Amino acid sequence: MAQTPLEPSHGSTPGTPGWVKVFGIIALVLILLFVISLLTGARHGPGMHTPSGDAGGYSRHSSIAAHSEQPS
Amino acid sequence: MIMTPGIRKFALTAHLTCSVGWLGAVMAYLALVVAALISQESGTLQAVWIAMEVIGWYVIVPLALASLLTGLVMALGTQWGLFRHYWVLLSLLLTILATVVLLAHMQTVSDVARIAAETPSAAVNGLSSELVHAGVGMLVLLVIQVLNIYKPRGMTPYGWRKQRERRTVTPAEM
Repeated sequence: MAQTPLEPSHGSTPGTPGWVKVFGIIALVLILLFVISLLTGARHGPGMHTPSGDAGGYSRHSSIAAHSEQPS
Repeated sequence: MIMTPGIRKFALTAHLTCSVGWLGAVMAYLALVVAALISQESGTLQAVWIAMEVIGWYVIVPLALASLLTGLVMALGTQWGLFRHYWVLLSLLLTILATVVLLAHMQTVSDVARIAAETPSAAVNGLSSELVHAGVGMLVLLVIQVLNIYKPRGMTPYGWRKQRERRTVTPAEM
């Protein structure tokens, strides 16, 4: 954002540029893949890596704090 | 409100520092993940998860939030605006997405780091997810960086409307 905007001042018609359309298609594909992975049962989000017995008991306890609490 | 050249340079310096720092910190994070995946030794796993949690909460998260904030200041304080150009809008959306995913994911990192502190072998499985999250995160940050450097042309309908308004108002004022 260092320079001033360089938009064509005359003769250009407003329309979505090609690169924006490409970005949109990529985004749609990625969103679709994410939704499909959720529908097929892939676990995602907080707690996904915790052992099954601990999955319901999600905790925000930090290991940094845990280490500082341990006696040296 | 448009910033003066001096303030704009200061804001740009802050924005660049935070954005590039964020990318660099994610690269360091990725290096830790790869080191743990290669070694898989319990001492390394323990140390890596602790390091990832510290880097995540105390370097990556603050830099992400600062990058978002300074980006907003740069957009609103210059002629670019926040919703006038597709590249600015896209950068904003990607930065918000990356920050939200980061904040949500860091909760998981803290959880696994806590498990790794007690039983390091149980935290091996989480590394592949870290590789995906950090890898995709780095790609998103690279895309944002490319957009910010190349500034591809293209105005949003809102940007065109604002530009037309400015052109019709300016001659009347003169």
